[in-house]
Amino acid sequence: MTFLEYLQSRRELLLAQTLEHATIVLMSVALATVIGVLIALWTYRNPRARAVATAMAAAMLTIPSFALLGLLIAPLGLGYAPTLVALTMYALLPILRNTIVGLSEIDPALTEAARGIGMSRIRSLTTVEIPLAWPVILTGIRVSTQMTMGIAAVGAYVGGPGLGHQIFDGLANLGGVNSLNQALVGTVGVIVLALTVDFALALLGKLTQAGQRPNLLRPRLARRPALTPTTAVPSPSLGGRE
Amino acid sequence: MSRDVMIDLQQVSKFYRGQKAPVVDNMSMTIQQGEIIVFVGPSGCGKTTTMKMINRLIEPSSGRILIDGTDVTALDGNDLRRQIGYVIQQVGLFPHMSVATNVGLVPKMLGWDRKRIEARADELLHLVGLEPAIYRNRLPRQLSGGQQQRVGVARALAADPPVMLMDEPFGATDPMTRDRLQNEFLRLQEQLRKTIVFVTHDFDEAIKMGTRIAVLGERSKIRQFDTPENLLANPADSTVAQFIGRGARLKQLDLRRVDAIAWEDVPLIQPDKAANGAKRQLEQTEGSSALTVDADNRPLRWVNAHDLAAGAGALDGAGQTVTTVEPQATLRDALDAMLASRDGAAVVVDEDGRYAGTVTLDGLMQVIHHASEQEEPGAGVPDQRAGATTAAELAPEQR
Repeated sequence: MTFLEYLQSRRELLLAQTLEHATIVLMSVALATVIGVLIALWTYRNPRARAVATAMAAAMLTIPSFALLGLLIAPLGLGYAPTLVALTMYALLPILRNTIVGLSEIDPALTEAARGIGMSRIRSLTTVEIPLAWPVILTGIRVSTQMTMGIAAVGAYVGGPGLGHQIFDGLANLGGVNSLNQALVGTVGVIVLALTVDFALALLGKLTQAGQRPNLLRPRLARRPALTPTTAVPSPSLGGRE
Repeated sequence: MSRDVMIDLQQVSKFYRGQKAPVVDNMSMTIQQGEIIVFVGPSGCGKTTTMKMINRLIEPSSGRILIDGTDVTALDGNDLRRQIGYVIQQVGLFPHMSVATNVGLVPKMLGWDRKRIEARADELLHLVGLEPAIYRNRLPRQLSGGQQQRVGVARALAADPPVMLMDEPFGATDPMTRDRLQNEFLRLQEQLRKTIVFVTHDFDEAIKMGTRIAVLGERSKIRQFDTPENLLANPADSTVAQFIGRGARLKQLDLRRVDAIAWEDVPLIQPDKAANGAKRQLEQTEGSSALTVDADNRPLRWVNAHDLAAGAGALDGAGQTVTTVEPQATLRDALDAMLASRDGAAVVVDEDGRYAGTVTLDGLMQVIHHASEQEEPGAGVPDQRAGATTAAELAPEQR
């Protein structure tokens, strides 16, 4: 059976597994976004708290995925739950760190102006600071999404959902009829899915860019300087400093 | 003329934990409605801290601050700040919001409806000289620095607050833009009559903007609190004098207008009429000059007896060119005009360019000396006296 024939014959299963894969990744990234942004808001003004938070998130990232998933079986059992928790933990660092960077890079004159005209702390955050930090936060979300796409495949090891099953099955009966196709379809599927979601997030970034009317058809007059993905991947600068 | 007290600082102090000396030490000041009070002093003297305690961006450690009779600590800090205009040097426009949205922020927080906010934003943009149809939907970065600060002023004025705090509002702009913004703002203030606390470290700006100036020393100690005129004429001590810097007398010239000096009359000659009579007149008053004027009394040239002799009686083209000033011009402009003229006199003309009188260096000197002697005779600082003699040396030789 060729690769294409294999795709054809397992269409429904593959589609379902792809959707599962996307769902669990997006769920964990969403969860990590909520937790990461909250921790960042809570810590970004205090250098020590900021350092502790990023260090802990960084430490979580160093735990090998197999080990973490295995360890989570004891409290959470097999299947969906341990996969979701593990992925959320991995997705946390880039989002947390970019949110901290994004918020601390805001011109202090703007926060002072916000206070000076009588904005409450919450209003200043929701109408000024988070919208301005959003491009950097979104970059963190994109990095997290890419990273967890791959790790999610390992989730199949603890019975989690997704394309990992194709890869594990293929590797389990190496030399078997469809083993290569299985491993290949799993891997390629993850890559294609990752690229698609990243493209969607990039589009989301364009649409939600603060201060721009979502008008993609007309070329923009002036480009927004700085702030955009320059702070891309979590730079180790913030964690270690101070 | 009874005016209401708008802001009353009563023995206000600010301590920071871990610092022995207070940043602001027991400061008291009464500010009347409609005044522009300028806090001026070296950096780190606590002038900004003092200002920020008025809208409680910084909480006072002790003392009371009353605005229009109400203790500011009685209000919620954010509510208080919505009622006080606030302009900072860095402008602080939110880069992701349009100009109109920025201007409408305070009204929005006060719960105005959308229509009213839009109308108000347009009104204010118009007021600060930005055509609403063009600028309303622009983003701040599409504006020049000067335009941005105009929007900053419009935002501060949005809810028509009685009090405005301005922290070096024009400090970040180039000198030409700054001058224009200052003039525009003064013109605006003539209509609005806000009570304004204005912080700057630029003494010239203080003189230009202030109704009264508070020269602050360390810990916000008030060294002198007076009108610009009195401050220049009678600095309280050598530190204030030092801060005023050289050329205090020259700076005074910016504060007064030509109509403050006594005008003198000179003989007028209409060349086509009675030339001989005028000639005789000139010859009699040896050494002095006369002014030739046209049929509408517009000044043409200075002439004296010598010119007449040289020109063999013909008045056309004889004599020296005339420099003119209008009654609203500052004395500095008048001085410039006087120095440009051979006779040390400038001709005052009305709006139509007709002769109204002349001003001379002597008249100028009298006004300046009168100002300082009236207040406190002999209170000058040596440095300042030196300045006065320099001015005197400029004077007579032409006469």
